Amino acid sequence: MSKPALLSLHQALKKSFQSLEENQKVWNSILDECKPVLDSLGNLADQLIALSNVKIEQGPLNQFPELHERLRFKLLLAMDTVLGKLGEKMCSLQTVRDSVGNQVTAVFQVYEQHADALDLTACLQRSAVAPSIADMLEWLQDAERYYRQQYIRRKTLLQELKPNDLSDLQSAPKRWEALATPNGEDRISDALFRVSLFLDAQ
Amino acid sequence: MLSEADDSTGKNTHEAEEMMNLKVLPLDICDEGTQRCRLGPGLMASLGLRIGAPVHVTVAGGGCLCTAWPRSDLAEGFLQLDTKCATVDLITANFKDISVSPRHIRALCSPKLKGVSVKVVVQSMEIKKYSSDSLIHDLVKDMLRGIYVAGKHIVDVSHLKSLVELILIQQLDPCSSDTGLITAKTSVKIEEIQTLNSYRCQLQKSSDISVGGMEDICSAMKEMLNLPLRYPGALQMLGLSCAKGVLLIGPPGVGKTMLVRSVVKEVGAFLVTINGPVILGSRPGESEENLRRMFKRASDAAQEGPCVLFIDEIDSLCPKRAGSTSAPQNRVVAQLLTLMDGIGSEERFVIIGATNQADTLDPALRRPGRFDREVIIGVPTLHQRKSILDSLSSKMLLSDSVDLVALAEMTTGYVGADLSALCREAALQAILHSSQESESNSVDMKHFLEALKKVQPSCLRSSIGLTEFKPITWDQIGGLEDVKLKLKQSIEWPMKFPEAFTRLGLSRPRGVLLYGPPGCAKTTLVKAAASSTHCAFLSVSGAELFSPFVGDSEKAMAQLFRQARACAPSILFLDEIDSILGSRFDTTAPHSVQARVLSVLLNELDGVGLKTLERRGSHRMSCQPEGTIEFQQEQQMEYQEVCNKDVMIVAATNRPDALDSALLRPGRLDKIIYVPPPDMQARLAILEICTKRMPLESDVCLEELAQKTHLFSGADLENLCKEAALLTLQEEGMDASSIKQKYFIKSLKNPSLKAQQIDSYQHLFTN
Repeated sequence: MSKPALLSLHQALKKSFQSLEENQKVWNSILDECKPVLDSLGNLADQLIALSNVKIEQGPLNQFPELHERLRFKLLLAMDTVLGKLGEKMCSLQTVRDSVGNQVTAVFQVYEQHADALDLTACLQRSAVAPSIADMLEWLQDAERYYRQQYIRRKTLLQELKPNDLSDLQSAPKRWEALATPNGEDRISDALFRVSLFLDAQ
Repeated sequence: MLSEADDSTGKNTHEAEEMMNLKVLPLDICDEGTQRCRLGPGLMASLGLRIGAPVHVTVAGGGCLCTAWPRSDLAEGFLQLDTKCATVDLITANFKDISVSPRHIRALCSPKLKGVSVKVVVQSMEIKKYSSDSLIHDLVKDMLRGIYVAGKHIVDVSHLKSLVELILIQQLDPCSSDTGLITAKTSVKIEEIQTLNSYRCQLQKSSDISVGGMEDICSAMKEMLNLPLRYPGALQMLGLSCAKGVLLIGPPGVGKTMLVRSVVKEVGAFLVTINGPVILGSRPGESEENLRRMFKRASDAAQEGPCVLFIDEIDSLCPKRAGSTSAPQNRVVAQLLTLMDGIGSEERFVIIGATNQADTLDPALRRPGRFDREVIIGVPTLHQRKSILDSLSSKMLLSDSVDLVALAEMTTGYVGADLSALCREAALQAILHSSQESESNSVDMKHFLEALKKVQPSCLRSSIGLTEFKPITWDQIGGLEDVKLKLKQSIEWPMKFPEAFTRLGLSRPRGVLLYGPPGCAKTTLVKAAASSTHCAFLSVSGAELFSPFVGDSEKAMAQLFRQARACAPSILFLDEIDSILGSRFDTTAPHSVQARVLSVLLNELDGVGLKTLERRGSHRMSCQPEGTIEFQQEQQMEYQEVCNKDVMIVAATNRPDALDSALLRPGRLDKIIYVPPPDMQARLAILEICTKRMPLESDVCLEELAQKTHLFSGADLENLCKEAALLTLQEEGMDASSIKQKYFIKSLKNPSLKAQQIDSYQHLFTN
């Protein structure tokens, strides 16, 4: 086995785990920001449903002309704003996904470059301070796939929303919450804990 | 140095392991959808695999594309694989207790792909309709990123719980490579989007159902389905509305349901089946709702391809409304009718109904616009039976002794279901015998013959006339040589030598009347005739025919004929016909039941024609070259069919003068045979047959006895022998060893026949 190859691979791994750590924080913070936005989306849907059920003409408010249409327009406008915000959030989620993806691809490229020099047994060697290269590659790939899947699911959910299906809109926040898989998130955190000593070591 | 030594020993162990099979274990949860296959590190090294390198694994009859990863516990001898990208066979495969040889794992060189074209399978019709193409395109692109794919493989993305279920890889862009990696730069082209249902339906198509003997009906049905389903545009241009409904009519077991299944599979249509009992619900309105839902399902499915809505046993769902008083039932019928009318010409689905009681259907159903065409599938003819047997036995191991033509001739009246039961029974017999005698496993002719005894034709099962009797050979009847010859001529010859009959333009007689004094073996003669030919034998007596209800007897008679025709060639035996029919000129009871049964019989024998529902087979063209053995066989079968498509009536009476004269004219009972009392030679023959099992003293002279028994009938002679034997026991005690002549002489009594009576028989039809 060759030392320089191992060293450069370790460098690349370190770099990408560091960036993964940062990206994880960014991802989680974006998700936290998304939650109130989705809640307000659900709330707007509630209001629209209520509006379609109420009969304003029979109440005391029938003095106001075209109240029903106006309210509806206002709510739809608000909904558009909320959806616009969500679109922005999705964009930032996409940047996180892409940055993780690029990092992982880069690491795999480094591995491919040095694969001839690196023995398989060397890649499998584990020590007290550092997990094996194979394990670390696996964790990185897992993390990258996790973000990609999460992004696909959340994007599909938003794409599937239709303005005329109010009950669908109403349940959107719940379904958004259900998409979170704490399992996958935990595994990324786990991996980060396991490599913490490796990252600290110089 | 040390490390080198280690390496060499390592290599040796690897080589040893190469021979060792890998045990396939279920996948870890965390590896699901990762396209990884977990191998032992030693195996990876020996195969020259890097971490994450693409490999192709052949397992359980299919192939699977994976990336190689070392097991986290580094153990050897196990294999776990994720079938994210695999061939069709692996999608449903079960990996329990399977092992894989390391030779089946192949390292691949997979370049990055420029482009890939795919088919997408989505969950439901709504998604296909309402989702924009760009959304699905983006989704598919995201899903495929970072995955190794190969042509004709299927990427399973159902674990993502997204809109898309499966992605079928069609073509890779650099065509030279079999496999490749999809990156962010790979362009994805979606060729087609289909739903999961239609995809599954396509998968099933590969398993073929063979239907024998219905080629003509099959092709007619296919044409009917194909025309509106495949070329709706052409028909619209002609301004035609295409046929939307087909009603299949036929007795149970002829293969109506199977025909539909096979045709649907050949056409590649989606099949929606409606069963009466499933549709009917307990709440008011529930049945109608179910019916509407099934039609909705069919029209949904029809939007993406041809679809067939199959209503099996439609008579239970749609009985006559006129006779019934049940309002819910009538509502269901009305709903079905309106739904069938509601299918517009743009909706491309066809309704097929199947029933075995077409006359109980509501007449409103049987008009063009609803069921446009009615296809009648009759009980299979000889040809059809032969081809059914051919297709059934194509998967069986038959020995050379099996003659399917002979089997087809023997199985008159058997429908497809009976024949398949027959084959199954024969195979069972073969298994039983082979386990006892440890012979070869092939099915023999004797197994078929054994099975024939157990499997009865189902069209005769509920018949009133089906009788079982001990087979009798012609030799067991003494004398009466010319009567036997006449019977053979009219019953046996048309079956055995149909060719000669057609050559001379002969047709077999419609009916035979045997008359003669009682006890002269009329019934026995018919039994012998029936057992010498392999046709169905129905016998009926007054007891089965007559009932206290008005019209019942006539109905039973008509049904008897219908059943006999269904399994033609058949013999219908009416014993003591004078008591069943009587004469219309009998003044004592001018409108009796007998007269009415007679009129039914006359009609059935020589009526205008058959009911349409009784149609069987159709004329077919032979396409084999002349002169071959097969052709001759074919010809033989052809003649057989032409000659023997009718029912033969055999009647027996000892009071021919009491019969109606209309019955005796040519074309009805046209062969009238007198069965005379035995003459001297015949009596001798009968006595010989009767005493065959009796020990006789040497002084017994059968010739003398035959001379002394003038005017004795066959039954009398049999009785004489019995009496003599009994007398022997009475006189000589239980130890008597043989019968002496004197006891025969003592037992002689007055004959039961009288000379005058015989005279009257003889002169009945001569003047």
